[in-house]
Amino acid sequence: MSQFEYVGKSIGRRDGVDKTTGRGLFTTDIFLPGMLFAKVLRSPHPHARIVSIDTTEAEKLPGVKAIMTHKNGPKNLFNAAVPMFLTIPQLERVLDQYLFDEIVRHVGDEVAAVAATSEAVAEKALGLIKVEYEILPAVFDALEAMKPEAPELHAGKGCTPEGKNIPAEIVKIPYNDVEKGLAESDVIVEQTFELPVQKQVQMETQAAVAQVDGNGDVTVWSTTQTPHPSRAILGQIFGIAASKIRVLAPPYVGGGFGVRIGLSGKAEPIAMGLALLAKRPVKLVYTRKEDFIASDTRHAAYVTVKLGAKKDGTFQALDMKAVFNTGAFCTFGAELPGVCGAMTLAIYRIPHQRYFGHSVYTNRTSAGAMRGFGNPQGNLAMEQVVDMMAEKLGMDPLELRRKNIMKAGDPWCLPYPCSTTELSECMRQGAESIGWERRGKLNEPGAVKLRGLGMAVGTHVSNAWPFCVDYDNAYVTIQPDGSAHVASGVPDIGTGTSTSLVQIAAETLGMSMDSISLTYGDTLGTPFDIGSHASRTCYAAGTAIKAAAADARKQLLEYAAGYFNIAPERLEIKAGLISPVAGSLDECSGSGLCQLEEVKEGKGNSVTVAELAYHAHVRNKQFIGVGRIVPENAPPWHACFAEVEVDTRTGQVRIVKLAAAHDVGRAINPMIVEGQIEGGAAQGIGYALSEEITYNDKGRQQQYSMHNYMLPTAEDMPEIHSIIVESHDPTGPFGAKGAGECSLVCPASAIANAVANATGYRFKQIPMTPERVFKALNS
Amino acid sequence: MPNQIISFRLNGEVVEIAVSPEEMLLDVLREKMHLTGTKRGCGKGECGACTVIFNGKAMNACLIPAMRAKGADIQTIEGVEGPGGLHPLQQSFIDKGAVQCGFCTPGMIMSAKALLDKNKSPSKEQIREAVGGNICRCTGYVKIEEAVEDAARQLRASAVKGGDL
Amino acid sequence: MVQNYVFPATVSEAVTVLSTNRGKARIIAGGTDLILELQEGKNTCDVLVDLTQIAELKNITEENGFIRIGASVTHAQAAKSELILRHAPALAQACRKVGSLQIRNMGTIIGNVVTGNPAADAAVALACLDTTAEVTTLDGMQTMPLEDMYAGVCMSCIDSCCQVVTHVRFPVKRTGQGSAYLRMEQRKALALPMLAVSALVSLDGDKFEWARLIIAPVGAGPQHALDAEEFLKGAPVSAATMTEAGQLARNQAMFRSSAIRGSKEYRMGVLPVFVERVLQAAVEDARRA
Repeated sequence: MSQFEYVGKSIGRRDGVDKTTGRGLFTTDIFLPGMLFAKVLRSPHPHARIVSIDTTEAEKLPGVKAIMTHKNGPKNLFNAAVPMFLTIPQLERVLDQYLFDEIVRHVGDEVAAVAATSEAVAEKALGLIKVEYEILPAVFDALEAMKPEAPELHAGKGCTPEGKNIPAEIVKIPYNDVEKGLAESDVIVEQTFELPVQKQVQMETQAAVAQVDGNGDVTVWSTTQTPHPSRAILGQIFGIAASKIRVLAPPYVGGGFGVRIGLSGKAEPIAMGLALLAKRPVKLVYTRKEDFIASDTRHAAYVTVKLGAKKDGTFQALDMKAVFNTGAFCTFGAELPGVCGAMTLAIYRIPHQRYFGHSVYTNRTSAGAMRGFGNPQGNLAMEQVVDMMAEKLGMDPLELRRKNIMKAGDPWCLPYPCSTTELSECMRQGAESIGWERRGKLNEPGAVKLRGLGMAVGTHVSNAWPFCVDYDNAYVTIQPDGSAHVASGVPDIGTGTSTSLVQIAAETLGMSMDSISLTYGDTLGTPFDIGSHASRTCYAAGTAIKAAAADARKQLLEYAAGYFNIAPERLEIKAGLISPVAGSLDECSGSGLCQLEEVKEGKGNSVTVAELAYHAHVRNKQFIGVGRIVPENAPPWHACFAEVEVDTRTGQVRIVKLAAAHDVGRAINPMIVEGQIEGGAAQGIGYALSEEITYNDKGRQQQYSMHNYMLPTAEDMPEIHSIIVESHDPTGPFGAKGAGECSLVCPASAIANAVANATGYRFKQIPMTPERVFKALNS
Repeated sequence: MPNQIISFRLNGEVVEIAVSPEEMLLDVLREKMHLTGTKRGCGKGECGACTVIFNGKAMNACLIPAMRAKGADIQTIEGVEGPGGLHPLQQSFIDKGAVQCGFCTPGMIMSAKALLDKNKSPSKEQIREAVGGNICRCTGYVKIEEAVEDAARQLRASAVKGGDL
Repeated sequence: MVQNYVFPATVSEAVTVLSTNRGKARIIAGGTDLILELQEGKNTCDVLVDLTQIAELKNITEENGFIRIGASVTHAQAAKSELILRHAPALAQACRKVGSLQIRNMGTIIGNVVTGNPAADAAVALACLDTTAEVTTLDGMQTMPLEDMYAGVCMSCIDSCCQVVTHVRFPVKRTGQGSAYLRMEQRKALALPMLAVSALVSLDGDKFEWARLIIAPVGAGPQHALDAEEFLKGAPVSAATMTEAGQLARNQAMFRSSAIRGSKEYRMGVLPVFVERVLQAAVEDARRA
């Protein structure tokens, strides 16, 4: 139950009509006069030098208006993802990409791009470009790439001297004395797990439309999750001032899940480069295959967890190592290992901890941000080791976790406090939903289809601090007619922020949602905002909007106070009406209320925001609220419970039910939060059972289409029970914490634990495909 | 390749347009007629984002040769809203939180509409079959199924009342 | 590059167009496979000859002791057809599994055969039903057993530039007969099968009179599990028999290893389970009537 007017209500999305009628525009829907269409030539080799590239035949093809290669492309090194501009000042940022390079480093790497009057002509032109490659030795596995004999992928671009092909630095998190902790443990469990490449497969592929005006000012419509940082990156690539570049969402973006925190693959700079050459607008839309092979994936990883505990189950020590396959380019490869370690170390109260993790370059598609950002990989390892520990100790895994989970205020390795946690309640409700008491009693002897129950818990962040630069700005202006205009630089990539953020503004201002408009996802007319990633938008951008709205409200009330002749604190705004707070009426009677006659006659002691704003406007004043905030951080918590049925004769695993309980602080819009939980659960099911991208020995991706990448369809979904457990975090707007990524942290871990419970076999690798399960059970 | 002028019924109105023997219906809708509500998610009939209702049946427009549209009765998302307002499916999708990024939404609604146009009391299995070919990466399908059930309920109720939808 | 797209009104017109274009024209029915092949350059033609306006090809009929299916009949039509559900549940079950409802509304059963894909669901089901195809050229109509339609893996004996498969037919179901279809899949929609099996059994009381057992993809076209079929002749209907048949089916199972569809070892390992289960289902169907 909410004591608020707008916050905490499942208000229908404001973009709902646009999206359900097909009226809403996405980048791929944009048509401009004179627009050209771009196509990209991509490397068929995993590692090669371009010895020569000849575009003369292609240039002659009628309809071809511009071609870009490493010969005429911009020569500035960059990082296509936001670490280019959001690397914290203590660290060196990794800049390891050119728009077009003489070296290609993965199958699908960009070699050339053509802009032509139609896609068909552009495609034909690609076939006329002659490229001569010198094949270079390639490496695909992260451990192989660290060996001295492995080819070097990025010499001189800031790899750490501590290892081969390791970008940036090795993340080391020491927390007290792990060797001591292990020595003091009665039982130690250690296991290494292998995590696959997963892909976001957002429904709208990477896309951008770029237009240059006569002044050289550039407009780029794109699918980016972060318009402001992307604008800065484009400025750096082309040596153009950021103020001459506008990046915007049209306003709708067909999903992200991390694939475009920063540039959308290379769609924006390629479209922009071709537009600059051709002097006409250029549209580039990745095919689904290009999206698969040439945009960031999740990191594959090897994660080792060593857990020490006392006989009574108290955790003493946690020693964790992780090696991440970051593919051909670093993008987020420097930050992600840190998040994996920190989030895993933060789940339980363990006095002695240590984490050692890093990325490695290989000749595979770049790995970058994907929902969870290293946390799902660490969680799969940790939560299975906790179950293994429970087994060894003869304890119920639920009890073992209860004993050790963080409580509010407990010390940990993070630089912000563990401010709130309702994980215990999440576990209670999730356990009840799944029927945890049935665990161990589900199977008759000799059953062919075995049932099992498993669980996992985890935490995450509410924005990217301290891993990345993180701050937000917003402003709220009250128009002369009393309506409010909120400006924020975040886009809405599907998470409903264009509704939830307005709920926050409405609640703070005391004005109806209908009287508030939101400009979002457009660098023109909004102040710098980091954007939508790291589960930060409601928490961090929401805090900035709340601050801006509070500032505007303060100004409104101060102005109104002058006419009511009472202190502004005695006034409130409700549904756009400013009036004295109930009870202070008597003290106002007689005195300055008569001055309201100027504003409106004989209606008593209240005035609408509309009337007040107009009153002020004709006296040369506008109310402008500014919010500039640096967010703190706060941990959301989640507990996931799974019931599975394993067909031992075929290896097929069927999920019977998944219960996911989340402490997201205050759910600003509960229906939207449920949607996030359910969507993440589906992706978690895919991660656990069927989604992976593998490579053959020639470095070719084996899964590159909707057809052969096995994400779940509607017919594959089990019953999903999404549970919101509220806490009130003192640092978030109205108590909110992050929500967007949390739902993908635990499901695969819970499913793996359930499969182990059902079959007695512990999988050290996911996905647990029927073939892997069959082999394990029948060998 | 020479274009041919064909005519067909689109969202209740007869239209005439020149199409080439190589084009697919999706290209004609989006690029020629600028009806961008129908989306391209994969171009290979593997994701359902381009679903339209073709002679009463849900089909992937990316696989329908444009020439085959001749004389056909085609509905796209742009034709779902009636003069009286949103179709119950559209309203239910909004009310039940079945819309997130919105890219799969037009195709989902067309698949669901093709079902409800013929069967206002679908079972859960029938709803799943109807949208089984529509990939959604945002919602986990949960609220989409709830929305279709909700819309079916509303359609049944207004059919009983003699409503005209 | 497709220059022309025509809609003949009769089969005779269709074969005439094919003949006139001397190999540069091609039949298209549903098109769900062919369109992709043309786009990917795996096939080319100048003229597409669309069968979907030819009235006589749109039906499923019972004639002279056969169920006869026209070239425009879609998977969706077959999956819900009274006649198919009664006489050939294996085919209805197979058609229900193809791709997605959108694909089933467009793709045709005969197209499923003519692509030559050995694990094409409808083709695997047709293979157990003793199916014959009616193939028409300018010179007239010939019948061809389904087994003869496969030249190699994903290679049809049918040349769609001069031949039209207008119908397929199989005998109506007799008393004591039952059929079923099963596939192993990585997900429940939008997926090709990793392996597929179909069975048509004829029971005489508690015994198998005979059984036709088809497995795929183990060669060019769906294959008979000959040793298992031999074993089942006159064998008692029992769990043990069906388990043994499952094991024997491996003798004809020449699986290849596929990075996407499963290794040879895995498919060999699970094949017996699917054979057992499809036989059980076919027996249930036979006993239901």
